[in-house]
Amino acid sequence: MYSDSQLIELAAQQPAPFLWLLDQFHRRDDRLTPDAMRAIASGLRMPLADVYGTATFYHHLALGNGNRSEPRVCTGPVCRLQGSEQWLADCTDAHSMACAGRCDIPVPVLQGDSTHRLTGNSLEPTAKGPMPVPNPDGLPECIFEHIRQPDQATYDGYAARDGFQALEEAFDTGPDRLLQTLDDSGLAGRGGAGFPTGRKWRSVREAPGSPKTIVCNADEGEPGCFKDRAILEYDPYAVLEGMILAAFATEAELGFIYLRYEYPELQIQLEEALTACRKANLLGPSNRLGSDFDIHIRRGAGAYVCGEEGSLLNSLEGKHPFPRNRPPFPVTHGYLQKPTVVNNVETLAAVPHILRHGAGWYRNLGRGELAGTKVISVSGDVQRPGNYEVPFGFPLSELLYEWAGGPPSGSNFQAASMAGLSGGFLSANDFDVTLDEPSLRSRNSMLGAAGIIVYDDTRDMVDETRVAIEFFAEESCGKCFPCRIGSRRLRERLDAVGPDTDRDEWLDDVNDLGRVMRNLSACGLGVAASFVSDSLVRNFPDQLEQRFEAPE
Amino acid sequence: MTSSPAAGTFILDGRQVEFHEGESVLAAARRQAIDIPSLCYDDRLEAFGGCRLCAVSVKGVNGFPASCTTQAQPDMEIETRTPELDDLRRTLLAMVVSENGSERLAVDPLRGLASQELQEAVVELKPDLDRFKGATSGSSRSDDANPFILRDYDLCISCYRCVRVCAEQEGDYAITVAGRGFGTHISVEFNGHLRDSSCTFCGQCVQTCPTGALADRKAMRFAQIEDPVESPSKKRKRS
Repeated sequence: MYSDSQLIELAAQQPAPFLWLLDQFHRRDDRLTPDAMRAIASGLRMPLADVYGTATFYHHLALGNGNRSEPRVCTGPVCRLQGSEQWLADCTDAHSMACAGRCDIPVPVLQGDSTHRLTGNSLEPTAKGPMPVPNPDGLPECIFEHIRQPDQATYDGYAARDGFQALEEAFDTGPDRLLQTLDDSGLAGRGGAGFPTGRKWRSVREAPGSPKTIVCNADEGEPGCFKDRAILEYDPYAVLEGMILAAFATEAELGFIYLRYEYPELQIQLEEALTACRKANLLGPSNRLGSDFDIHIRRGAGAYVCGEEGSLLNSLEGKHPFPRNRPPFPVTHGYLQKPTVVNNVETLAAVPHILRHGAGWYRNLGRGELAGTKVISVSGDVQRPGNYEVPFGFPLSELLYEWAGGPPSGSNFQAASMAGLSGGFLSANDFDVTLDEPSLRSRNSMLGAAGIIVYDDTRDMVDETRVAIEFFAEESCGKCFPCRIGSRRLRERLDAVGPDTDRDEWLDDVNDLGRVMRNLSACGLGVAASFVSDSLVRNFPDQLEQRFEAPE
Repeated sequence: MTSSPAAGTFILDGRQVEFHEGESVLAAARRQAIDIPSLCYDDRLEAFGGCRLCAVSVKGVNGFPASCTTQAQPDMEIETRTPELDDLRRTLLAMVVSENGSERLAVDPLRGLASQELQEAVVELKPDLDRFKGATSGSSRSDDANPFILRDYDLCISCYRCVRVCAEQEGDYAITVAGRGFGTHISVEFNGHLRDSSCTFCGQCVQTCPTGALADRKAMRFAQIEDPVESPSKKRKRS
């Protein structure tokens, strides 16, 4: 066990020491003690008040009551469908946690660094989630091309199937060709924002200032999204190759994987993968890129907003994880104000495949004018929850009925959330959409990071909306007024739907709160909350109406 | 700064307005006495973009960016008052008022230099004061018995001007933002008292607070004495 000063010394030798230290002290002492915070403050020359304030921001840090090793039970929207709240209420020392990214195997219980699955009354260890199943139509895949090979998650297995071939080719042909291929492929950010990847990398390449940084955003916090977890579990080297290619293209010297707290098993697995890449001289001092580029894993501490790139960068820097004002953007002013690529796991994983097969191949995987594919996490009331890679423009109904097997027997689909929760709820009448932004935007929703939670006709959509709004209110960071206050007021209104409430006033309030949040919030969180409340009013007016009527 | 040369002009509500290199739309507007409402802005501090009351409409740009964090650019066309913006702002201000309830909006001006700002915004924008009444966010620290700074957080609207002035202007880093979302609060380390922190009682936080949530205890004490500056000799003469 390391002493305080040993930990401080170790931290001083590496980038982004704050998050690393929080994690180390938290593990060592099973909580984050005031003495640990004092040691961090003096060791990193940070104001003690800021160390304290920033630590209080994160859900998972045990600061006063409770310990790190006490169980955390997922009370995300999918796990609540399984009754996780009731279980939590029956259990004395357990804490609730926001969606933990295992909606395909509910209900996860995190204990220290291991995840268990709760079903009925039994608790079983589940290190990995289920393998994505092949699609029944046999459509070609990009991200999942090799993912089902049993040894794909090993260095040798990855290398045996053309792994690192894209990198070898890039060494020969140079960064310009690489960037051109990315541009031509139409690859865009798969975390939901959809910014063209080639353009992002080129901006960082051309931006003055060094060291440049590559950040893999693995802070998959959107409820109903568990695709990044699956990609990292079963094909981690594709993501690492993507990051190394990004470093090669931009001449970056520093890399981070910002991994959400709830994926502790992945941290161990990724550390092993990084070691293998260092052994192959693809990372570390004087590597084959001709640089010292290396990748460091930093574990988040529980904060949805840290999936937003400005918050993520502030978090990495040890600052209070508020979103940043934009412009400037991370491509010029990212980690420590230096040019930085921040890419989602799925985006990075796509890159080696695209470079190997060519831009045209990737582009043609999409339907019509739409380029490429999207991995979609499907969960909730559906026969076969899981991750599916679909062409952009694929019909939602085909995904839900044919690929995912339709509703549980005896029920019908009623609704589906989009973009995790951020796109609000579509009613089953809207299931004729295709899976792409233009189609979903036309129904006032969005594809985003592409989590879809399905609800059958036994569910009460007013309750589901309340669950969703509660999540956003809980995760609102507190920086901007519209979201900080608005999410709370929306939550209060969802709590108050009933015959004692004036219906018209309620509707006016929800509408106006939503409008302010959508138009004035500083980041997507406040906007998302308004999508959810608006979708209830627009798509499920009958259920809402019923609540206002006096019971007979 | 007024001494630096103009970098160009942009159009603000139909008027041609000069701006300096790197200046924000809000700063350029205020320098020329065009008011854009704001609660989290203090021209000595780095723009924060928290309250969003200073949102404006920029021609060719979707949405309503905060003018405090939007750099003025040549030929930018900006509107600060449209019916839609007025309405959004009024609703947002009603939300802000709801945070602490409307009963204590008017506070003693002696509390601090900026203490009337929220009240002034309410007078100007006339929001529906009780519309969004609900849970309140602040929690006063009557237990903090220091003789200088009253921490009346029942009035706090989480603009963090106090935290920012403490760091950016004073370099004390005594206070911080703790918690998250609606539960954010201003705190020293471990939620303690100012005198046990690195606070030097400079009073900058008091003077930038826009609601009187921080107040100058000394000024308020003096105000209770009939003539606080009456000298002993004057007293003798009078008697």
